[in-house]
Amino acid sequence: MAGMHLLSDQGLRLDGRRANELRQIRCKLGVFSQPDGSAYLEQGNTKVLAAVYGPHEIRGSRTKSLHDKALVNCQYSMATFSTGERKRRPRGDRKSQEMSMHLRQALQAAIRVEVYPRSQIDIFVEVLQADGGNYCACVNAATLAIMDAGIPMKEYMVACTASLGNGDVPLVDISHLEENSGGPNLTVAALPLSGQVALMEMSQRFHLDHLPKVVECALQGCRDIHQILDQAVRRHIEVSGAVGWGIRPQVKL
Amino acid sequence: MSMEKEPVSGRTIHPVKYYRDFLAQNVRPDGRSLQTFRPVSINVGSIKTAEGSAIVKIGNTTVVCGIKAELAKPKAEEPNFGYLVPNVELPPLCSPKFRPGPPSDQAQVSSNFIAETLTNSRCIDLRDLCIVSEHLAWVLHCDLICLDHDGSLLDACVIALVAALRTVELPHVLYDAEAEKTVVSAEKRSKLKVHSEPVATTYTIFDDEILLTDPTNEEESLSSGIMTVVVQGDKLCSVHKPGGSPLTDAQLQECINGAMKRAEHINKLINTALKSHET
Repeated sequence: MAGMHLLSDQGLRLDGRRANELRQIRCKLGVFSQPDGSAYLEQGNTKVLAAVYGPHEIRGSRTKSLHDKALVNCQYSMATFSTGERKRRPRGDRKSQEMSMHLRQALQAAIRVEVYPRSQIDIFVEVLQADGGNYCACVNAATLAIMDAGIPMKEYMVACTASLGNGDVPLVDISHLEENSGGPNLTVAALPLSGQVALMEMSQRFHLDHLPKVVECALQGCRDIHQILDQAVRRHIEVSGAVGWGIRPQVKL
Repeated sequence: MSMEKEPVSGRTIHPVKYYRDFLAQNVRPDGRSLQTFRPVSINVGSIKTAEGSAIVKIGNTTVVCGIKAELAKPKAEEPNFGYLVPNVELPPLCSPKFRPGPPSDQAQVSSNFIAETLTNSRCIDLRDLCIVSEHLAWVLHCDLICLDHDGSLLDACVIALVAALRTVELPHVLYDAEAEKTVVSAEKRSKLKVHSEPVATTYTIFDDEILLTDPTNEEESLSSGIMTVVVQGDKLCSVHKPGGSPLTDAQLQECINGAMKRAEHINKLINTALKSHET
């Protein structure tokens, strides 16, 4: 069965992690000056940028405006140098459009769209280096960018992947090599505190008996990532927001 | 947001008057004098999936350049030459004036400018990219993505491109002409030879008279003319002035001199960045 070699005898994966370890996450908010909100997130070797413009007036066709909600518009784009083989079409191909749609569906579940009727929120995500878990890194980066823009959300929207190694051990946060090894891939986007799942996608197959533990593994991954993102947001507010409020930050110049 | 949201003020209601008041005191709203450049920071080799990469920040303007190498057959009329294909992308995330869709006019003009700068400056000898005459050559796709557009876009693009080209390491390729087989050995790599380092500097003309160096996005949109000067070493490579207010001879010479001085500084910076990347 595929996925047999993802976990060694000592319980280590291809990149030296244990089955329940996430990749190293580094993130920064407010990295750009032009967008209303922006964020940069690294999950292992996957590097993703997110920019949020809005809420603003609906551009293009006015007929799309909703009388009681804001319109959420997402665009997923991969840099041509982000993958091993040069990517010919950075956006507009079917995979990117599918990802854009999934992003929109997940984020729409978390953003409080009823606060901004008849307006539009644009979320642009750019993948600079792709090494597996692209969708998850994009959702996480988009959440941080929305926070930076000051748009209210019900909760953080966090996404994580999971797989099965050696037939029965759930692995969290899979990398590109593990994705392509032929084992099952489960992607979950959820609101971590309430445990509500916004998007779940699975490929390959495994026995139904294993499903609860793989889903629980992904949800635990979401909760762990949520803690990391929350710390980053609080740190960012302390350092940058404090300046505007007249409180001196504790930084020696 | 990295800048606090400002209340409605003279800057939003009457931006030209706002700028005129500052320029009358020989200073710009961000505190710079009329001839001061913004700080430049360069980082190379951060994108591991690309053969060469560089990220450049001029003030807030951020451009990332990624170079990917592919193999192809050379053109019939130029059998000894490889290809160098630059492309500038201005995605909607870099500025609110760009919308999703096909490349905007500005992106196409910038791509063309970069392509011409590469040919004019003879920065890469295309013959170095040829592996076997008439059969196999390298194609270097240079993709420049602007992540934050705050003025002086062409400056950042040229610096990022040159820095990325200097990090490119091409694998050795063995080509068997009879069997038409290509063997790429990824471990043995050799550096690409960069013959010259062009540096671009942008100036704008405000109110038909005042020359501003290294403009921000706001200054570019309020100006009546714009000009980009490309120099390499101590030679002038090209001057790009797409219409706009006329410049006197003296102002033109001032711009070229300023660009020469800046080129020295930028080249030192690129060398430092490359040295720290190699260690």
